[in-house]
Amino acid sequence: MYYYIFDIKKCKKKSQVEDIKRYISALGISGEFTYPSAAQTVEELVDLGLSKKYNTIVAIGGDDIANTIAGKLCGRPEALGIIPLDISPELGAVIGTNNWKDGCENLRYRKITEMRIGQTGKDQYFITNIELDLKQPTDVTIEFRDYIVQSKASKLVVSNFSPSLKKIGPEFLDIEMTSLADHKGSSLASFFGFKKRPDGYSIFRARSLRVFTKSQIALCVNDRPVAKTPQMIESTDEVIRIITQKS
Amino acid sequence: MENNTFDTVIGLNVSLKGNLYNKGSIQVNGTIEGEIKSDENLTIGETAVVKGPIFAKTIDISGEISGTVEASEQLEITPTGKVYGDIKAKTLIIKQGAIFVGSSTMTEASKAKVVIEDKVEIKDAVTPSSDKSGFFGKK
Repeated sequence: MYYYIFDIKKCKKKSQVEDIKRYISALGISGEFTYPSAAQTVEELVDLGLSKKYNTIVAIGGDDIANTIAGKLCGRPEALGIIPLDISPELGAVIGTNNWKDGCENLRYRKITEMRIGQTGKDQYFITNIELDLKQPTDVTIEFRDYIVQSKASKLVVSNFSPSLKKIGPEFLDIEMTSLADHKGSSLASFFGFKKRPDGYSIFRARSLRVFTKSQIALCVNDRPVAKTPQMIESTDEVIRIITQKS
Repeated sequence: MENNTFDTVIGLNVSLKGNLYNKGSIQVNGTIEGEIKSDENLTIGETAVVKGPIFAKTIDISGEISGTVEASEQLEITPTGKVYGDIKAKTLIIKQGAIFVGSSTMTEASKAKVVIEDKVEIKDAVTPSSDKSGFFGKK
């Protein structure tokens, strides 16, 4: 039933591999354990697991492996499980934990949540967010369906899921941009301890967008470059079935 | 970065060209050339410059607008607000210091309410359709 793909690099110590296996076994959710390598990529392992008719593919590791498996399972009936090892707080919020033992418990209760994911380029997917790798304020143009936005941006994050934002619809991505702006008046507010949103803060909601910059800039998922501008970013039409924390 | 009040925010030093339609609330602090439509609230901040018609349920204007303004409920022009264009609203509030150049139409005239404070600069004919309570009444 469970096909585990283990990113050993994310283990803090060697013994953690055996600890996780033992814990899974004790919970009665054992399955086949596999390990990606130069000879066999995560994508190939997922294909193998699906060909063996496993109904749950489990990522043991961080955001990278979870995103890769999510992309392969998008639109399929098989569920994605995540046993988190050093994951982002955002992905932790999706599955309800950043603790590997709790992740194992989630698998046992098998609460399935359907969600769309973000896609960029041909085969790059993200469950939580993607960020433009801006080292300094840069002229950025974003093309939406009905309008074009231009600004000298210092930060641009496109979120499929963000715990701090109220999603207006499952098909919408949240596009947050911080532009170069004066901060007149904000010093007094910060003196009194008010958390003031930057004047140059923008947020847009859209199903798809194109990002342009004068020179090519990387788009990163969890600090790992996955694509370069100009680039289309969109929400998938189909959903993944992800195992989340029992409420 | 957190924002749970507005669905869409156009920040300072951001320029937008095209038509912005949104079911939820919109805040504009940047520059827009095109039409803005919201089913909820539309806030035009002090730093905003908008060229184009705007439509929303309630509209607060503290920045500058060149174009028609239509609020199905309430339209308020604050002391820093500048409107160059015709306006249409059920309830209209123009605060002291505001600039309004254009004509106004009140929707649902029997229930319409207009509040204009002193020292409002009105540079064109303003003709509420039938506001019997007195057009230049103070708030």
